[in-house]
Amino acid sequence: MTQQQELGELAGQYLTFMAGNELFAIDILRVNEIIEVDTMTRVPRAPEFIRGVINLRGGVVPVVDLAARLGAGITELTRRSCIILVGVPHAGREQIVGLLVDEVREIIDIGPADLRPPPDLGGYADTGFIQAMAQVGQMFIILLHVAEILTHHEINQASAVAERLSGEADQAEPIQ
Amino acid sequence: MDDLTQTFIQESSELLTQMEDALLALESAPEDPELLNSLFRSMHTIKGAAGIFGFDPVVEFTHPIESVLDQVRSGERVLDEALAELLLQCKDHTAYLVEQVTGGAEIDPETEAKGRALIAQLTGQRVASAPVEGSEQGAPPPAPSAEQESTPPAGGSLWLITLQFGRDAFRNGMDPASFISYLGNLGEIVDLIVQLDHLPDADNFDPESCYLGFAILFSSGASQQEIQSVFQFAEDDCTLRIVPQAEIEAAFMASRDQLPAEHAQRLGKMLQAAGPKAADRVPGRAPGKQQGARPGASHESSLIRVDSARLGQLINLVGELVISNAAIKLRVEEQGLAELNELVETSEHLVEEIRDNALQLRMVQIGDTFSRFRRVVRDVSRELGKEIELVITGGETELDKTVVEKMTDPLTHLVRNSLDHGIEMPQDRIKAGKPPCGTLSLDACHDSGHIVIRIQDDGAGLDAEKIRRKAEALGLITPDQVMSDKEVYQLIFAPGLSTKEKASNLSGRGVGMDVVKRSIEALRGNIEIDSEPAVGTTVTIHLPLTLAIIDGFMVGARGERYVIPLSMVEECVEMDSSQWQLDEARRYVNLRGEVMPYLYLSEFLQIPEADQRARRESLVVVRIGQHKAGFVVDTLYGELQTVIKPLGSLFNGFRGISGSTVLGSGEVALILDVQGLIQAATAQMQLH
Repeated sequence: MTQQQELGELAGQYLTFMAGNELFAIDILRVNEIIEVDTMTRVPRAPEFIRGVINLRGGVVPVVDLAARLGAGITELTRRSCIILVGVPHAGREQIVGLLVDEVREIIDIGPADLRPPPDLGGYADTGFIQAMAQVGQMFIILLHVAEILTHHEINQASAVAERLSGEADQAEPIQ
Repeated sequence: MDDLTQTFIQESSELLTQMEDALLALESAPEDPELLNSLFRSMHTIKGAAGIFGFDPVVEFTHPIESVLDQVRSGERVLDEALAELLLQCKDHTAYLVEQVTGGAEIDPETEAKGRALIAQLTGQRVASAPVEGSEQGAPPPAPSAEQESTPPAGGSLWLITLQFGRDAFRNGMDPASFISYLGNLGEIVDLIVQLDHLPDADNFDPESCYLGFAILFSSGASQQEIQSVFQFAEDDCTLRIVPQAEIEAAFMASRDQLPAEHAQRLGKMLQAAGPKAADRVPGRAPGKQQGARPGASHESSLIRVDSARLGQLINLVGELVISNAAIKLRVEEQGLAELNELVETSEHLVEEIRDNALQLRMVQIGDTFSRFRRVVRDVSRELGKEIELVITGGETELDKTVVEKMTDPLTHLVRNSLDHGIEMPQDRIKAGKPPCGTLSLDACHDSGHIVIRIQDDGAGLDAEKIRRKAEALGLITPDQVMSDKEVYQLIFAPGLSTKEKASNLSGRGVGMDVVKRSIEALRGNIEIDSEPAVGTTVTIHLPLTLAIIDGFMVGARGERYVIPLSMVEECVEMDSSQWQLDEARRYVNLRGEVMPYLYLSEFLQIPEADQRARRESLVVVRIGQHKAGFVVDTLYGELQTVIKPLGSLFNGFRGISGSTVLGSGEVALILDVQGLIQAATAQMQLH
């Protein structure tokens, strides 16, 4: 399969939104729902990009600050801030994760001709979270690779925190 | 696979477990009639059920076992060690057969040969130990039980079986024809009359009801009890009378007047055709006696099998009920609706009771899991040539079924470890001045909302030096590190550490203990090991009673709220240096003579600075097992019912937090991992 064919498979409807002053889009079929930001409970000692957990109809769902995750700083909460709930495959199961974004825009159609492969930044930047680029009018939109939002890299980071916690706890028992 | 087959599988496995338990228990009490009966019953019921389902390989295999067990029960044959061993093997083989036939597989020749070999061993021994092959026909059994008081006449004798099915037989899934065709396996059906005297006229006829009755002239060498057992599954749905040859005529005479003329005539003809002219004997056996009530049947009928998924759903719903009730309570308080207070209190009380009852449904006794190890201990000790006695205490301690299930593997591992590494060979034990027979004890009890499981052996104990050397070789510790023996023992939970020089097939590959530790921690429990050279090793496991709903205690630190499982809270005191002896630098407090570490929750959880420091701080003292620690918090909110929600795999391995819960206000509050916090506090104290 050529790269163009692979890209062609990505064509479809996308939800666009702003996060950290960038325009992103995710496959609409990945989106479970969009909710307003209500009270979030901070999770102590979690990585910065994990903003906290929310109560979603009795279930507890973690919220990832997308801008912080992509290295664009902590998202300021405004009137337009939203949480997009997406299903992310993790540890063999689909986990519902909330993405905290600045603003949700619209649903657009992206055809095969609009799609471009992710830019090659020569290893200077981690482009793993970019599934493809889409040209809409004069603008380029980043199609977000949802599965990459919580990659093993991040989980390791999260585990590192856990390790640090247990490390402190276990200094009396210096093995582990 | 249909439901009935499923039931068969489930029942057989329960019965086989029962059989194993009985066999193992008989080793210490070989004469116990109740155990012998239970042994017979389990094999007998499996055979009967397999017959009804048409699983012939199982019937063929179990039939001779049943006969042997019958002899054992009647005292004709002694249940010695060799026979017990053989019967255990037969039990395993039966389990395998059941698995095969219910899976729809054909029995391969190898399995069949194995079965035949087992049976040959069984019956071969029978000839040796009970040379009078015909003993079941003549000699009165030494200890006749009620069921056996009519010793069956010589092989090939005639029986008259009258069988009247109840109205509901069809509705209960009984098929009279299958019982009769199964009866054919025991002997020959000489003649059979269908009795339709209960058949109503066409207007009152209900096609779903059963009006069938049978009179069967049956020729067989089987005992009355064996014949009766054919109908065991229809026991509740039919009236059964089995009349031995000698009494047929008398019984016929007695009942002739009650029968419609036509029937009496046909029955008479049938008997005449068969031509038995039996000697006069006193008839009049009460039909009720034939029903031979199955012991334990009344107990069984008071139990209901429920799909565990349904129970899970019920508990989830109760969880939601708890949350919504908390929300109502909150609103009522906010709005100051005093007149509703009482109602809310009542419903809260009810919900609490429902919660406790619902959780109780999932509780099972740990004893069943423990007794599974009897077999393990027996087999392993034989294999290793050791003498080991298993002592079980606290088997009636209850805990959540999910927890029990997840504990089976770790427990098996620990037990095997003790058997393999812990307890020494008999000659070594004698040299060490101990009795040659080692003791392994399994003990369970409740302690402050936890269940404590202890696995204790009186073996050689752990070799601290050896563990140290190994850990050093693996680079887990440095040679100059100063450690107490107890600290060294905990090293065996590190991955890759096994001190056994040579791996046996039981243990010693060093993959076990870290897995054991992890699976116990996954259940929010903890495991500790203590050992004394030449005296023995004790492994102590603390587990939460349930994984679903707990009583929580809410505290606040710098505006954030956290829940501590109430059962772990010992007390709450004011954090007051004038009252308690505090060591601020080394972070420990002397509470009425008891010294314990403490930590500031806000610091440990890295809670951002609030605008102002709380005026009054409180110290919450928590305890797990013997470990105590204090947490300094700003606010005490009090008790609340907490439905534990998993925090998701994303947060796996976060030591400070063990889960989350939804408050009445809809907010999420995190549940503190007391275990992790105590460890952190202890570590911090020792660091200074």
